[in-house]
Order: sequence, then C-alpha cells, then structure tokens
Amino acid sequence: MRTPSPTVVTSTCRVVLENDLPDLDPVRRDVVTAFVAERLTVLPGPMRLGVSVVALVVAAIHSVAGDRSLVKLSSISLPIVGEYFRLLRSLSYAYVWETWPDASPSGAVSSIPS
Amino acid sequence: MGDLARRVALRRSELDSVMTTTCDVLVIGSGAGGAPTAALLAEAGLDVIVVEEGSHIEQGVIVPFSLEQMNRQYRGGGVTVALGRPSIAYTEGRCAGGGTEVNSGLYRRPPGEVVERWRQGWRIDDLDPDDVERLAGEVETALSVQLLPGPASEPSRALQRGAERLGWKSDESPRWMTYPDGDPRRGQRQSMTRTYLPRAAAAGARLMYDCRVDRLEFTGDRAVAAHVTRADGSRGSIRFRDVFVCAGAIHTPALLQRSGLRRNIGRTLAVHPTVKLAARFADRVNVPDDVPVHQVKEFAPDLSFGGSASHPGLVALALLDNWRDFKGAVVEWPNIAVYYAAITSEGRGRVVSLPGTTDPLVTYRLTSRDRSLLAQGLERLSMLLLEAGATDVFPSYRDAPRVRDRRSLADVSSTFRASKASVMTVHLCSTVPMGEDRDRCGASSHGLVHDTVNVRVNDASLLPDAPGVNPQGSVMSVALRNVRHFLAEVRRG
Repeated sequence: MRTPSPTVVTSTCRVVLENDLPDLDPVRRDVVTAFVAERLTVLPGPMRLGVSVVALVVAAIHSVAGDRSLVKLSSISLPIVGEYFRLLRSLSYAYVWETWPDASPSGAVSSIPS
Repeated sequence: MGDLARRVALRRSELDSVMTTTCDVLVIGSGAGGAPTAALLAEAGLDVIVVEEGSHIEQGVIVPFSLEQMNRQYRGGGVTVALGRPSIAYTEGRCAGGGTEVNSGLYRRPPGEVVERWRQGWRIDDLDPDDVERLAGEVETALSVQLLPGPASEPSRALQRGAERLGWKSDESPRWMTYPDGDPRRGQRQSMTRTYLPRAAAAGARLMYDCRVDRLEFTGDRAVAAHVTRADGSRGSIRFRDVFVCAGAIHTPALLQRSGLRRNIGRTLAVHPTVKLAARFADRVNVPDDVPVHQVKEFAPDLSFGGSASHPGLVALALLDNWRDFKGAVVEWPNIAVYYAAITSEGRGRVVSLPGTTDPLVTYRLTSRDRSLLAQGLERLSMLLLEAGATDVFPSYRDAPRVRDRRSLADVSSTFRASKASVMTVHLCSTVPMGEDRDRCGASSHGLVHDTVNVRVNDASLLPDAPGVNPQGSVMSVALRNVRHFLAEVRRG
C-alpha cells in the first residue's frame, strides 16, 4: 500500500514547524521532520493510504499557494486536512520535548545541537 | 466461509512452500490471551507453537512510554486510529508479550455484575461469576498482583487527595509487579515475557517471533494450516490440529475475515474512550516513566478517572490542542502531570479487513450519551484536580479554556465538543463476542468460532462488551477458563 513521499511530508512539516517553533534550530528541525516522515511510513495500511492522499493534496496547495497559505491552512479546523496537520504536530511536538525537554515554547534549546 | 474465499485461499497456499512445520496446537499472538493459552496447552503435553508478529525485547532495554518504545513495541509506531467523528486514537502492543509489555500494569478483577451481565445478555454457558473470581485469583498469583509497598507517586496522591476533599470514592489499583527491596519506584512488571511465556517454553512450546500469520487455510469447516510471513520476507506454513487466535481485538477479527470467516466477526468493537488534560501544580509532580496507581471510581462504571504517563513529550501533546494559549506551560512540565477521564461507551465500532493489506480499517462511533459523558468527565476531573491543589488545568480539546478555579469549570462544559477533543483508548475488545446467541456472537461460549470445528479465539475479542475496568484481568481469566475447557474436551477425545 502506498507510502507518503518523504519529500512531500518533510516540506509540509518544515513549514509548519518554522511557523509553530520559529526558534527551533534548523538542524534540529531537519531531525524532527525526518523522524515524522519515517514514522508515517510505518502507519497501518489504510491509514497510510489516507495520509498519502491528504499529504499530496496539501503539497499541491503548498506548491501553488506558498508557505503562508500552508500555514493558514494548517490553522483551520478542517475535518480531514486538519487531522493531517494534527498528526504532523503530534509527532513533532512529542519528539521535540522528549528529545530536548528544555526546549522553550518557540523551540529554542539552550544546549548545542548534536 | 464462502466458497470463493476458500478457493482463493487454497490457490495462494500453493505458492507458500518455503517453510513448513507442524504442531498439535498453533497459538497466534503472545499477549494476555495467547501466553496463558500456550502455557496451559504445553503443560498439558501438547505440541504447541506460538507465533508472534512482533519482536522479543527484554524489559528494561527501552524507556517505558517513550517514542522508542512506541516505535519498537507498538503497532504502527503507536499511531493507530479508529476513524469516526471524532476519530479515536488507540494503541496496541506488537511484541512478545503483546500489550502486557507496554500497558500501565494496573489490574482489576472482572466485576461480578459485569460477568453476570455477559452470561445473561449473550447466553454464555458455564460462565459462573464465582469461577471467574477463582480464575482471577489464579492470575493474581501468577502475576504477583499487589499494592505498592510504599507511598504512591505525587500525581497519584493528587488524585486521591482531590477525591477525598470532594467525598468521592477512590482507591489504589493493584499492579502485576514485583518490587525488589520493597522500593515502590522500582517495580518490575510481571508481563507475559516474565510469566506465562517462560512457562510455555519450559513445557516445550516453540515460540516464533517476528512472524506474521497472513491467513488460515481451510478444508471444509476445519482449519488445517496458517500461512505466515517472517520479518525477513520469507514465507511458509504451519499445519496444526487446532488453532487459538489471540491476536487482540483488532487483528483477531482481521485475520478471521482474511481467512473467509465473517459472521459476527469485527462488527461490535467496544472501547473505553478517554479524554485527557494536563494539570499544573505549584511543586514538582512529574513522573516521566510511570503512571499513577490511584483511580477515582465515584461515577463508575460510567466514568472513571486516572493518570497517564507524563514525560515532557506527552505533556506537550496534552497541550497541543490549544497550543496558542497553552504553549507557555510546556516549560513547566516538571510541575505538570497528565490525567484522563474514561467512559464506558455505548457506541460500537467495526474492524474490516481490506484486500492488499494485513491492516484492517477500524471505525468507531460515539453515541450522544458518550459525548455527554466525556464532557462531564472532563469537567469533573478538572474540578477534582483543582481540589487536589492544581493551579491550572489544561483540557485537551481545541480552543479549550484554561481552568484556574471552579467558576471557569462552566467554560469547559459550554465549550467542550467530542469532535474537538483528542479522544483515545487503550482498551479494545468485543470484536468476536462469545455466547450462544448466534445472532450477535462470533464464537461459542468457550471461544470456538461459529461454522468451524477447530478455530478458537481466546483474547479480548471474546469479551461481550467493555468491562468498565482495566480489562487484562478479565481477558486472562476468560482465557484460562476456555483453554481448560478445550483440554477437557481433548481428554474426552
């Protein structure tokens, strides 16, 4: 069953994190987006298919309308698209604060990135 | 089973000839149902193979409730969802020992009135509450079920304190743990890899990990082989005389459906939906890698309150639904603990296997009564935590208000909608309910799947509905009962 393209997921996730956690170091941001993309590949089959479809639609909107529109879209409570953004945020935030518990609400971490 | 499904299954079976082995009894799954089943069968002298899709991972290797644990010991990396409005996130263990390796370790006996309701409502023969009580005692001995040998953690005591101040009933849930040196912080869970699986192995059972059963092959109404795929992609089959399917409430019905069995299979999924909140206290309360043992039962069985694991990542998750207003609290995670309100749901869900994947589609529909109970639960839990000394309560739903005093509790009840909440569950059951009522049951009173002569289910799928308490004790008691019934039949010939 189809797996969401890592590029499609990471580009969306990167924009969301740049907006939500603006002070998260870019190196760390890449680590987080890679984690999210990898985790989406092990979703159960039907869920993976659904996420793939939504990810493609969101990526298409992103490529046409740009980062600002994507950020706006991610803040709207749409039934299915909203679930996709929630999934990205859930995995990202859980990873950020489990890995760097001293991260500030904007993603700033006092220690040096590894 | 339909003829077409059977023919397709047989044709496919011809392709799978890499590895073939045989046994008396195949047990599929090694969790709370499969492990005791395998142990008792092997100890009775039968040649038993246990097939487990996940890996064997020693306890202590992975931090409990961490993302790594979700990645290595949960199905789908811990990201599994029953679709609906709202969708309900659920988790399933996928490792040797199944859910017993990763759950809270809290134990409750199956309530007598629940057992009696099951017996009458689903026409279950020989389901005597006294017998179930006795079997529960046997489980408790095998798993060293006991109370903490010392004081509970601060998040746990907060639940107890809040309940006492409100005059609500609460108690400490025992756990299946041992405590070396009597230290309550160093509990060692007596999960299946520490108890029944070693017993099964000692009695000669063969344990095959990293091996998934794709489907059962039938000759008439008798299953004769299981077609399996190993983690390395190699395929094969295991021939048997009898089979116990113990793959949990999602994957047991999925496997039966893939094998052509659909009558009352996967149509009545029952869960305990829960909603969460984060509570901030003036002092440090956070325990990252364990859960509170106290539970509030004032409104049980409809509504129960308890605590969750609260490592910083999970605190961030609890704050996520109103991140704009709540995000500032995340830096105070040492003073924050996460709690839940769980309901006994009247809703039901479905498990539907789909072609081309071993993962089924899972759906669940909450009733209006369920939605109302979730709202009540979150409001009452907020009140309890304020009484316990919380300075701020952060409910987990979109645009939730921060609760600082009793006056703002009204904001919770007026703004909560289940469709805005992060609803989740860890208790899944009832997808192959047992009983003699053939209009609603997928298996007989002792787990024999209808329309088959040798396919038995022996896990949470059999429980007719969600018991309103942590279900592992119920699952294991019923599993012991059914496997003993099977052994008595074998002895009778």
